Amino acid sequence: MGCASSFPGKNVGRSGSLNGEQTVANDPKNIRVKLVLLGDSGVGKSCIVLRFVRGQFDPTSKVTVGASFLSQTIALQDSTTVKFEIWDTAGQERYAALAPLYYRGAAVAVVVYDITSPDSFLKAQYWVKELQKHGSPDIVMALVGNKADLHENRKVSAQDAMEYAEKNGMFFIETSAKTADNINQLFEGTGIYLYRNKTQLSWITCNNRPKCRSCICCYEVP
Amino acid sequence: MDGGGGGGGGASDAFGSSTAPLAWHDFLERMRHPSAADFVKSIKSFIVSFSNRAPDPEKDSAAVQEFLASMEGAFRAHMLWAGSSEEELESAGEGLEKYVMTKLFNRAFASLPEDVQRDEELFEKMALLQQFIRPENLDIKPQFQNETSWLLAQKELQKINMYKAPRDKLVCILNCCRVINNLLLNVSISSNENPPGADEFLPVLIYVTVKANPPQLHSNLVYIQRYRRQSRLVSEAAYFFTNILSTESFIWSINGEALTMDETEFQKKMESSRAHLLGLSINTEENRNQTTENIIEHSIDTSRSQGESQSQVYVRENKDHEKAEQNASRPPSISDLETKGVADLVKEDELTEYFKEYPYLYASAGDLTVDDVESLLSCYKTLVLKYVSLCKGMGSNASTFLELSIRTDSKLENELASSKIDHYSLDNSSMDVTPNDSLAHRDAKLEILEGHDGKDKGPIKLKGNLSDNSTVAALHHAEHKVTEKQDVIQ
Repeated sequence: MGCASSFPGKNVGRSGSLNGEQTVANDPKNIRVKLVLLGDSGVGKSCIVLRFVRGQFDPTSKVTVGASFLSQTIALQDSTTVKFEIWDTAGQERYAALAPLYYRGAAVAVVVYDITSPDSFLKAQYWVKELQKHGSPDIVMALVGNKADLHENRKVSAQDAMEYAEKNGMFFIETSAKTADNINQLFEGTGIYLYRNKTQLSWITCNNRPKCRSCICCYEVP
Repeated sequence: MDGGGGGGGGASDAFGSSTAPLAWHDFLERMRHPSAADFVKSIKSFIVSFSNRAPDPEKDSAAVQEFLASMEGAFRAHMLWAGSSEEELESAGEGLEKYVMTKLFNRAFASLPEDVQRDEELFEKMALLQQFIRPENLDIKPQFQNETSWLLAQKELQKINMYKAPRDKLVCILNCCRVINNLLLNVSISSNENPPGADEFLPVLIYVTVKANPPQLHSNLVYIQRYRRQSRLVSEAAYFFTNILSTESFIWSINGEALTMDETEFQKKMESSRAHLLGLSINTEENRNQTTENIIEHSIDTSRSQGESQSQVYVRENKDHEKAEQNASRPPSISDLETKGVADLVKEDELTEYFKEYPYLYASAGDLTVDDVESLLSCYKTLVLKYVSLCKGMGSNASTFLELSIRTDSKLENELASSKIDHYSLDNSSMDVTPNDSLAHRDAKLEILEGHDGKDKGPIKLKGNLSDNSTVAALHHAEHKVTEKQDVIQ
């Protein structure tokens, strides 16, 4: 994918899977999180990720990479780092049945809709129900209304969405991948939420589960 | 947040194959060291004990995963790797995985009849779908459609059967995904589209997979799933592997609705693809060499001058077929009639109706019981009789198609009536059936040739030349499919 050359020298040691496991296992300060993106096609899932990972929106930029899988590490205030491994899913109706393969083992599900499209909001609600039925009971869900910059075309009120999110125990935020509004807040908030709720650290992916007792993601907090 | 920087992609870290040969060599070198004698002993004993057990996918997978993990732990504690970096230990683990799985390949790959059957079904489904599936059917936007460039991705995927180690097979999938991502990215840049995400990627991967139709795809995927060390099947590799798994899952479930097509229209297209493949297999003469014995059955609608009744013509392809080809050039030859019949059949709406009364047409050898042999043989005799009579009626020599020494028709009739099969003889050695062949013997032979026995499997090009997919699919389709002997390379 040529991604490596797009990110010269940054976090190379941690980005590969070869050391990744050890890094997590040996160091509780480095948390690895599988995050899955769900939502109708065209709501801007991949733009949100690119904005987060690259800090820019310009799709014509030569350094843009394919955004179906990306990872990004953030540092929290106490220098704990959270590495997000972001799994995009195809949002078209015909691929809906495949989603469980992707959200299996995910610590976070970010459900995205477009604030100018009521249909995409309905679709988001469908995903929330799916996750409640078939996802891990511990999964952290975020509801994201994207394209907030197009407020003159708004069709889904923030109030409605927030109420829906609250009712379903979700984290809610409106973002604009175009202006970068709230993009970092989305991921940072998710990271803090995961980190603070240490009692539920089993959310975080570890491939040695359930046998592993040595890494942060598997030991039981008293 | 003081962003920790991008760890994006990381493909070259996880799967850069540039260092792989070195690591492999290094592993073998270390194993030759006298102090590694105990390792060599445990590896060998693991391989022997594993090989001697009956296949059981769950137990097998757990046994390999446990063995690899414990050996990696032992490497870490051993003086051979004293002072080694994590990378070196990791590549020792890679080397071990490759060594063990290469040795266990014949025993562990496609070793269950269920997997073999799923391979065949999936292969056939893709062979049919690839005849008519269009990028639009999968929601691939016009600007992203580029069938020529996708061939590159198909090629990467088709390499999957060239390797035995799980990692090497996985790399083929990863490379295929990488090619697709690059192509999508180039288009998005040049056409000012949003950067390609999964909405763009997955449909192209599905399309490329159907078009590539790598033989034994299902077995390859479960093999990677079971035997690729789990701690290394993470992150980006896990993501793209999940994509190919969901591709397989999608292809299984493809129906009219999944392609935004009317269900009856979909069924019609599947049927005509099937008939098309059958037709192709008659005409593609070069493709015959891949099997020592292919029996292709074709039902054709021969409306001859005297009778309107449908007749069955069974064509037996074998090494002597060339002769037949020469004779067949005299018009109107049997094969002309056959071609015409197939073409007519393709146009039929109720194609399946024609095959309804032939219960064995869609059976695979595993479905058959010893009790079926008698009725099969009697069907066979009837068909041969009809075929030979037809040929005679056409004025051509039957033995050009089937070198059979059949006694007089009346004698054959008698035998059919009395079902005394042991007196019936086929004198063609290419059929491998001698007059004294016992049924049990014949059954056992079929079993082996069907490839249920792992030993018969070659690692490379298991189903013949990749470009001959359609013919192979047609062969699959035929009832006696496949008594194919596969090239065992190495």
